[in-house]
Amino acid sequence: MKLPDLFKIIISLGFFSFSMPGLTDSASNQQLTDVACRYETTITPDDKSTAPSTTTWFFWRKPDMIQTQDESGRYGEIWEKTATGNIQYHKLYPADKTAVEYMPADSPTHNLDFDWNKLSSMLSQQELDALKFVENKPVLGRSAEVRTGKINEQSMEVLWLPTEQLPASIIRKDKTGTVELQLVEITPLTAARQKPIDRETIANYRQIDAADFGDMENDPFVKKLMSVEGHHAH
Amino acid sequence: MYFLKKLGITTLSAIMTTGVAQAAEPGPNDWFNAGRQTVIDAEQLHPNSKRAKNVILFVGDGMGISTITASRIYDGQQKGGHGEENSLSFEKLPYLALSKTYSVDEQTADSAPTMTAMVTGVKTIGHSVSVNQLVAHSEPNAEAVNANKLATILEQAKQHGLSAGVVSTARITHATPAATYAHTANRDWEGDSDLPDGATVADIATQLVDFNINGGIDVALGGGRTRFIPKSATDPEYGIAGKRKDGRDLTADWLSKHSNARYVWNKAQFDAIDPKTTDHLLGLFEPSHVHYEADRIAHDKAGEPSLTEMTSKAIDILKKNHKGYFLMVEGGRIDHAHHAGNAYRALTETQQLASAVQAALNKTNPDDTLIIVTADHSHTFTIGGYPQRGNPILGLTQSAGATSPNLDMLGLPYTTLNYANGPGYTGKSNVQEAGSKSFTTPATAAWESGSEGHNPKSFSPATGRPLLKNAKVQGSDYLQEAIIPLGAETHGAEDVAIFAGGPKAHLFHGVIEQNVIYHVMAEALGFTRQDPVKKHKVTHKNKHL
Repeated sequence: MKLPDLFKIIISLGFFSFSMPGLTDSASNQQLTDVACRYETTITPDDKSTAPSTTTWFFWRKPDMIQTQDESGRYGEIWEKTATGNIQYHKLYPADKTAVEYMPADSPTHNLDFDWNKLSSMLSQQELDALKFVENKPVLGRSAEVRTGKINEQSMEVLWLPTEQLPASIIRKDKTGTVELQLVEITPLTAARQKPIDRETIANYRQIDAADFGDMENDPFVKKLMSVEGHHAH
Repeated sequence: MYFLKKLGITTLSAIMTTGVAQAAEPGPNDWFNAGRQTVIDAEQLHPNSKRAKNVILFVGDGMGISTITASRIYDGQQKGGHGEENSLSFEKLPYLALSKTYSVDEQTADSAPTMTAMVTGVKTIGHSVSVNQLVAHSEPNAEAVNANKLATILEQAKQHGLSAGVVSTARITHATPAATYAHTANRDWEGDSDLPDGATVADIATQLVDFNINGGIDVALGGGRTRFIPKSATDPEYGIAGKRKDGRDLTADWLSKHSNARYVWNKAQFDAIDPKTTDHLLGLFEPSHVHYEADRIAHDKAGEPSLTEMTSKAIDILKKNHKGYFLMVEGGRIDHAHHAGNAYRALTETQQLASAVQAALNKTNPDDTLIIVTADHSHTFTIGGYPQRGNPILGLTQSAGATSPNLDMLGLPYTTLNYANGPGYTGKSNVQEAGSKSFTTPATAAWESGSEGHNPKSFSPATGRPLLKNAKVQGSDYLQEAIIPLGAETHGAEDVAIFAGGPKAHLFHGVIEQNVIYHVMAEALGFTRQDPVKKHKVTHKNKHL
């Protein structure tokens, strides 16, 4: 996969999750199950001259770890809950055996006050409450709630899996186009064919503090990440 | 010119800062008299040719001259004055020179060769830490590195029986502090997990703790904990894992290797340190760099000392040695703020460095202590337009007599501070919309929002310029506009300033190579060194100047 494609994935991951406020207390207290999911995200721009793009990516959830990864395994993200209640965040570049870390001293400054419950599900209870329940519908052998409505000038249609506390589908539409998230596969984490990268492997990656990017302009990895492909976002 | 000016600002500042906001501006006679007084003061300035007992080298990482000017104004405006008349503590030092910062292979250098030049007297290639230009970048072989390592002023200080300390707001293993005590051909080899397989050269953290000249380094204060603790251990403040693969706990080793040693990682522990009973102090206050000063108190979980407090404590410990000491203090995050395109944090970091210098001045005697304040390199940071006197330095440019901000040829206002390149470019980026950029990328914006400020990987071309408001541009998170879109703003290549006071400070004059800084310090401390410099006949055509 070319790196520009990689960034499309990054962008698309961001698209589907651009509004993830916290869950309600009841949801936050709920013990979420360990799961492994495969999702597809399709972006269909309103501009007909731009072809729709679809990316596939993985989502893994454990009590103390959330991890995502694109299908090629070239890019992922990981959030780990530490014993002191902090959330450690890394971007993962497995092909480069490199992890970019976002250190605690910089996180609060940048509103990186990650809420574990925000990370564990993809829609907040507030968002769900803002959407009107329509009906129950079977999805992948599970019962899903169909919810529709409008949030932040976007029309939304959601298939929500209340047991798993995850979306089976989210369709967002606005004047710029449509972003569609579809759950393709969901299994218990232990039964997953594709596993998340384990902690030991990540610990052996090269670790770069994101604050050091500015001083690493000649580093091949940073160069590749920030310059070579650093052109048009569209 | 044998010595440089004692800046007239000293006297003028006294006039201005006492009441600019409230009192009338100085009249023509006041200006004239203040200028005259500066010359009279300069006439009384006599070179101090004594040997220095102590040397303190302050390095503002990335603190170019425009940064100093803007910080001076910002600081003065914070005090209620117009700002321009203000002087930061180190601007009052009597001697001044300009430093040429290029490295052997870089027109615009990074911190490793520039700091190497300052503390060894020898310029080297980019990213190399206190090894000469003959060793290849990323040379992993310890023998090859050792064969080309350059003696540092800190090592020589220890060899002569002085005490030595290193203080930084960056990781204590970062390039600038590392160059004082470590030798490696890759500045990024800070911990053993950063080393390539098969490397025999020691990582920088190990070199700090295993430093064995005359009892070891006496004080090391900064950030960078995770490279000192093993993978099996967790960080005491955040619970994240250590990074060491070799299983060593270097914080424990610090305690076992040194006498009367202490290790601290938070402010309460730091405050409890009694300099009288502590001879070796290691303080690591964050897993990586410590907080920006602007965020330190509000955001740090366990609390951490300011650069001023670290400097003061270091001096109190080091000064117990009657033979003297060498101390290096780095304001390491000026550079990071500039890379992020955020002038506010760069200026407040510089303010804090000035405060640390003032603390050092208060605690030392100019008769026996050489204090040097300089930078390793500059940034692409500019001060422009024609703002009126006292215009908020972070604000929109507004000329004298104008009732609204000046407009560009698109009919849009603009700021006084800008960057030539960086993440402040106003085109749409992959993480922020078109228009002004913010240091803060909200966590709710995307899953990948965990960024060091606005840390884009891609931009779309900007269309025109954004409509700026003073309320926005004077905010702490505003990223000044950049012409060229880059993920991180870059270093600048122009000369940086050297301010100095104390013994041999008068040797700083004119425009000099950066490695001269070492030679002045060595001269001041009385360290004679024949190799590699051999005395030779001066043949320079300007030798009589």
